[in-house]
Amino acid sequence: MNLKRRTFIKSAAASSAIAAAGSIFPGISFADWDKVKGAVGVTWQKAPCRFCGTGCGVLVGVMAGRAVAVKGDPNCSVNKGLCCVKGFHSVQALYGKDRITKAKVKKNGKMVEVPISEALDVIAAKMKETIKKHGKDSIAMYGSGQWTIPDGYVASKLFKGCLGTNNVEANARLCMASAVTGFMTSFGIDEPMGCYEDIEHADVFVTWGNNMAEMHPVLFSRMLASRKRKKDVTIIDFATRTTRSSQAADKSILFKPNSDLAVANAICYEIIKNGWLNKDFVEKHTTFHKGKTKIGYGTEDHFKFKDKPQDISFEEYKTFLKDYTPEKVEKISGVSARDIKYMAALYGDPTKKVTSFWCMGMNQHVRGTWINNLVYNIHLLTGKISTPGNSPFSLTGQPSACGTVREVGTLTHKLPYGVVMKEAARKKAEKIWDLPAGSIDPKPTYHTVEMFRALDRGDIRFMWIQVTNPMITMPNLSRYREGALKDDRFVVVSDVYPTPTTDVADVILPAAMWIEQEGMFGNSERRTQHFAEIVKGPGEAMSDTWQIIEVARRLGFEKQFPWGKDEYIGKIWAEYRRFHDNPKHNMAPYEVLRARSGVQWPFVDGKETRWRFNSKYDPACKKGVDFDFYGKKDGKAWIWARPYEPAAESPDDEYNFWLNTGRVIEHWHTGSMTRRVPVLHRAMPESYVELHPEDAADLGVVNGEKVKIISRRGSVTMKASINGRGVPPRGTVFVPFFDEAYKINEATLDAFCPISKQPDYKKCAVRLEKA
Amino acid sequence: MKRADKRFGKVVLWFAAICLSGACMALPALEAEAAPDIPQGFDGGGEKIFKRYDETPLAVTTGTDGRRTLNRFYELRQYPGSPPRVPHEVSPSFKGDGEKCLSCHGRGGFSASRQAYVPVSPHPEYESCFQCHVPQGTEELFVDSNWLSMEPPRLGRSAMGGSPPAIPHALQLREDCLACHTGNGAVAEIRVEHASRGNCRQCHVPQVAATTGAPPEFSRDK
Repeated sequence: MNLKRRTFIKSAAASSAIAAAGSIFPGISFADWDKVKGAVGVTWQKAPCRFCGTGCGVLVGVMAGRAVAVKGDPNCSVNKGLCCVKGFHSVQALYGKDRITKAKVKKNGKMVEVPISEALDVIAAKMKETIKKHGKDSIAMYGSGQWTIPDGYVASKLFKGCLGTNNVEANARLCMASAVTGFMTSFGIDEPMGCYEDIEHADVFVTWGNNMAEMHPVLFSRMLASRKRKKDVTIIDFATRTTRSSQAADKSILFKPNSDLAVANAICYEIIKNGWLNKDFVEKHTTFHKGKTKIGYGTEDHFKFKDKPQDISFEEYKTFLKDYTPEKVEKISGVSARDIKYMAALYGDPTKKVTSFWCMGMNQHVRGTWINNLVYNIHLLTGKISTPGNSPFSLTGQPSACGTVREVGTLTHKLPYGVVMKEAARKKAEKIWDLPAGSIDPKPTYHTVEMFRALDRGDIRFMWIQVTNPMITMPNLSRYREGALKDDRFVVVSDVYPTPTTDVADVILPAAMWIEQEGMFGNSERRTQHFAEIVKGPGEAMSDTWQIIEVARRLGFEKQFPWGKDEYIGKIWAEYRRFHDNPKHNMAPYEVLRARSGVQWPFVDGKETRWRFNSKYDPACKKGVDFDFYGKKDGKAWIWARPYEPAAESPDDEYNFWLNTGRVIEHWHTGSMTRRVPVLHRAMPESYVELHPEDAADLGVVNGEKVKIISRRGSVTMKASINGRGVPPRGTVFVPFFDEAYKINEATLDAFCPISKQPDYKKCAVRLEKA
Repeated sequence: MKRADKRFGKVVLWFAAICLSGACMALPALEAEAAPDIPQGFDGGGEKIFKRYDETPLAVTTGTDGRRTLNRFYELRQYPGSPPRVPHEVSPSFKGDGEKCLSCHGRGGFSASRQAYVPVSPHPEYESCFQCHVPQGTEELFVDSNWLSMEPPRLGRSAMGGSPPAIPHALQLREDCLACHTGNGAVAEIRVEHASRGNCRQCHVPQVAATTGAPPEFSRDK
């Protein structure tokens, strides 16, 4: 500002008069946004945040029926009043100008607005017709970890119970399936044993392929705060690219894609070799096993895999580990033997409490189940588990991936309690759902990738998609979009904004979003979080739960869906709770959920369980033992011999780069909500490709120049980011997937973990061209 | 930024500006009309005093750079109480770890490179700054928004004339009164003149209770 002094003073005098008027006559404001008029006072109501799986409590400020502000909920133990930039601005996501407020039905190739009741009639009629023509397994429901618990519950009840098809999946298959199979194979029961309070107890944190500074920022801050307070806390960022998390960590260790399997085994090798094994714990509480190897990648249609677990001895396990000395693993992983020994020493040090965090890096992995098993191995061998601060902690990416998908069981093989293959589980569901015996099909059908393949092939003809955006998120996207657009496929989409998925719809239903309806989410630490209907949805927006109820009644299932509009959430919760009526799973009653900012399960005798499997904290444990891994019949956790195997597609001479995809702090999932939040879009208006500076120099591109990323399946051209927010190592590029203008999943590969069926979005081969 | 620049302002500056513009108007006259036989520095070093004044940034003489106004303060926020965006450029490779942001925003003072007083963070214990504060890469929106904000709290709301006003905002993340209400980096409209009395909440109590919902109804049984 180089104004001449005198003009400056003059303009200052003039404008300060204007500004002074603003302060003398309060109510005149010059900030950009229009204000709610004529209302006095803000009321605050609690809700869990709409976005990630951390489950921060927020207080929503309401004025004249509109959400106008957010505070972190100081009564919520998750975040204690802190949020991230998405949470603080979350309510703005309700008010994008292009909200879907009316139902639309395709008539003569054009989407036409209709009353929502007419659209619901069309859906019910189409379902009946499709079942009649092609059988019950030709219709499918695809939901998400953003479904509220009642949404997922009624979807499962209608499809699995009333209609008898197991074609129910959720996008959590793309995000949490390996975590589930990891828990099931190691412990026989799903979800973390620890809780976020571990953060204040731990001395060492190891984050496995997990950029928490951007993806779980509130927990990351909690970790940094603990380090600051305690002084002797160590944070190790173990990852495939340098990020904000690496910057804040005490040490950043980079490994080659998929080689985390080898490093985890090398850590176990070192633990045993150096006598850091907790012999007493291992003898009393664990058994050793191996499974099939060379298990494939599922890139072909109709891929089938079933593991065959075999018992092995501790000696056999030790022999297995001989292939994983730090020196051998250095060659596979690019991690120096010294760094491997350092990590092993941290895990092994009996005076240190260690917490491991991970999320998509380990779950979106062609050996996702295995790497989950292997990190549990480290904690089991050292006995550092189920005690405050000693915690292998699997984080979630969606607000209710745990609550709705894992607990309600909205996956093809699951029921709210148990799996469809088990007669007792089917009987229990049929009884609670008031259905004749034999209503539920004992055979699982399609997991998510195979479900979209079935839609492409024509085995599925009708699909109802709620609260998710698969036409951005499916790997090898082009095939599945073309499949959805084929003749004689009928796609219903319930959503709040237009997306590439509503673009393929035959019917669009306007959905109520987040606090426009009552519901519950379940976060990463087994916490169920209730929210009331805080503001009204726009136009004919209807909760996903109520949409399903309306269709169920049109299909003749009034008896199973009898509830009134003012009571249905409470009634559904009461019915759902009956599935979990035991000390290992018990959920808190409705009134308790309404009153508190989240309640952890198992909720037994009015008390939350913070550390499971530890008899000091968990009333479900057998009496007289210190630990009881009661998910397994003998109360013992499983240590697995799982080898290193390479990714499905690795760089070669032609396609010579790794492509890694993920998120940024500003945007959540496909950005359909966060891009409508002004401050978030303005901060991160478009996606980009991160390159190593030397790779960029070889290619001849500078920051902001365009690069074409080409895989065997598709290509995307976007701006280069060099030495930006993150820096990948040489030979790797990274692309955030939120931006529908750059559909990076057209390039990714639909290979998945054969056990969990979760695709690997972190590894495929591409080549680059300057565009 | 354009609009805000024009709107420097606060009562303090207003008064200061009026006084100073008088002084400045005298200055050119002085240079032009000084008779050649009268030595410069006639008034006991008066010229030196004026020159010294002229060389001193306005920010130093008035205790404000004129840029941080209450309006500007609210412009950086989506609603009163939301985390403000980062209003200045940060290099793409800047990682936003606390050490770097807090090297200025931790202690305040005058930033020579930005020619501005630095606002002080009321919560320097949180170091992952980009968790809540993001810079702006574009003015454009993805789609328009129907967002309505709310009016910021009015200033000077004493319950009685002259009594200490209540605290109009929530205290979480803003417990450190002095960070925002004192010092040259503070917005002039909300700067207090009695910061030496450190126990702020002796006189100023929160206007809004921190709890949710209505307090329990009270009735005297009798």
